Amino acid sequence: MRTGVSIQRISLAPLVVALCVVLTSHSVVHASRNNPSQSLAIVVNRSNPIDNLSFGELRKIFMGDRSHWPNGHRIAVVMLNYGQPERQTVLRLVYRMDEDGYQDHVLRGMFRGDVFVAPKTLASPEILRKFVFNAPGAIGYLRARDVDDSVKVVRIDGLLPEEEDYRLPIDERSRK
Amino acid sequence: MVRRVAAPVQRIISRHVPAILLLSLLLAEAGVGAFIIRDLTRSSETVQKMYSGSVQGLLKFGDLQYHAQETRRSTLYALTTNDGNLQVEYAEQSREADRLVTQGIKEYLAGARTPKETQAGRHLADDWQAYLQVRDDVLGRILESSVKEAVQVDLTRGVPQFERVRQDLGQIKEIYDEQASLQLATVRKLSTASTIRLLTALGLGLLLGSVAIWGFQKIRMRSAVQLAKLQMDFVASVSHELRTPIAAVLSAAENLRDGFVTKRDDIIQTSTLITDQATQLGNLVDQVLSFASTAESNQLHPLGNLRIDEVVDDALRSTTSLLQEKGFIVERQIQSGLPPVVGDFSVLSQCVQNLIVNAVKYSNGNRWVRVSAGIDERSRQIQLRVHDHGMGIHDSDLPHIFEPFFRSPEVVTARIKGTGLGLSIAKRSAEAFGGTLAVSSQVGVGTVFTISLPVAGHELADVQFSQDSKIGDRI
Repeated sequence: MRTGVSIQRISLAPLVVALCVVLTSHSVVHASRNNPSQSLAIVVNRSNPIDNLSFGELRKIFMGDRSHWPNGHRIAVVMLNYGQPERQTVLRLVYRMDEDGYQDHVLRGMFRGDVFVAPKTLASPEILRKFVFNAPGAIGYLRARDVDDSVKVVRIDGLLPEEEDYRLPIDERSRK
Repeated sequence: MVRRVAAPVQRIISRHVPAILLLSLLLAEAGVGAFIIRDLTRSSETVQKMYSGSVQGLLKFGDLQYHAQETRRSTLYALTTNDGNLQVEYAEQSREADRLVTQGIKEYLAGARTPKETQAGRHLADDWQAYLQVRDDVLGRILESSVKEAVQVDLTRGVPQFERVRQDLGQIKEIYDEQASLQLATVRKLSTASTIRLLTALGLGLLLGSVAIWGFQKIRMRSAVQLAKLQMDFVASVSHELRTPIAAVLSAAENLRDGFVTKRDDIIQTSTLITDQATQLGNLVDQVLSFASTAESNQLHPLGNLRIDEVVDDALRSTTSLLQEKGFIVERQIQSGLPPVVGDFSVLSQCVQNLIVNAVKYSNGNRWVRVSAGIDERSRQIQLRVHDHGMGIHDSDLPHIFEPFFRSPEVVTARIKGTGLGLSIAKRSAEAFGGTLAVSSQVGVGTVFTISLPVAGHELADVQFSQDSKIGDRI
């Protein structure tokens, strides 16, 4: 009976943790489905012919594995300042790194020549939007609510931020 | 007949020549003034047009040039930094400046009035759009960190294209300069025209003014000469008047002295002749003295309240012998109860006598004279009139008959004796007591002289006409 109880206690702990993880991820996914402004839109210059990117292509671009667009323009990746939830989301979901890992990746890439141009870091979503508007090869990210007609939103795996199963939800708790 | 009418007209014109000249001068000055005002108005309009067109255009052009430079400058500033935030800021500055340039070009094209302006504006618009494409390319490459390519694009395409823009702007500036020069030339032309007109007006004014002054001087000189001539005539006339009785007196006296006249009747006749001639001499001297005394404007007369009927009666009494001698019918019509007038009795009496003597002298055979007196209630003046049915006075002579020594040519021709002083004395006498002497006459019909005198004080006695007084007393 005592053993049963202890077994019962031991077996419930991972279950509770798993349940919490599931509930958390569900709530995030649910939030992104119900509230598109909390998703991250990938934006490019309006003259860029690309309308859709696979998540893999997006990752390659951000990682610096691709240097030019099909139309010949150099790809210019733009990031928001350190500590912004959007940046944290991109680091977590696209780069799959933390801030230190990202810095290390960029420095190593520049040193080795794998990364041709380091991503530019901009102070605010508004400046980022203007940058993308002015640079034909620019690619960056914005909250869906910060997007306007001056830039073009690219589908990721065929999905826009407001659509179900979109893969770039913003985690507000990730602000540092 | 024509000569008779033309002469007075010519005389009037010649007398008013200076006034006509001055009037012409005034009209000419007014005309030139109007021209000058018109020129000044046009100048003002042209200057305003120049300001709103060329000057403001040049100011706008300056802004346009500055913003075009700013567009390029801001683009190039973006090259100087790797900071993406600053690069975006420079890009925005460049776009703001290019928006102002594009707007300025649109405004210029909207305000273009000539084909040349439109063409220059279109060239600028096209070249500016072409430059903006290069600018966008350069900006994009800078932001993409392709600095080397950005510089290359700017050098190969940006610099030449911007040079074309500068040339277009230079052409527009030239157009503005040309317009300003043309308008300036117009203003200068109008200014010169105004100056010439002003000088002409001044010259004309000086000339006409000089002529007018000369005319006035000439008239004054003519008057002086005329006066001198009248005085000479007067001296000659007086001398003649004096010499005739003197000669008669001398002759009669010599006859008496030399014993040619011995009979009593002859002696009486000769003595009478001497007496008459001496009386005539005395009268002549009195008249000359009277004129001399009335000529003194500050001459003081002993004033008193006079009854006008007494004045008339005295004058008639003094001229009775003359009137009777000439066989004149005299009508006396004095309104009864006339208020007194202020004046000197003897002077006023002499004045009336002069008028009666004139009526006799210029009777032309019609031996009738009327002396009447009444009151004009409206003017509160006593009016004393002397009427005759004599030869009358020509209209051309009427303005001169009161001038001293004036004698009309007809009178001189008719050998009617006189000094030309009687009417002048009469007029001055009337005026000395605040009155006037007027005349109305018609040749061949007769003449009426009217002495108007203010009543004494401010009271008007009740004046009533009696039936008897309306009927003239006949002498």
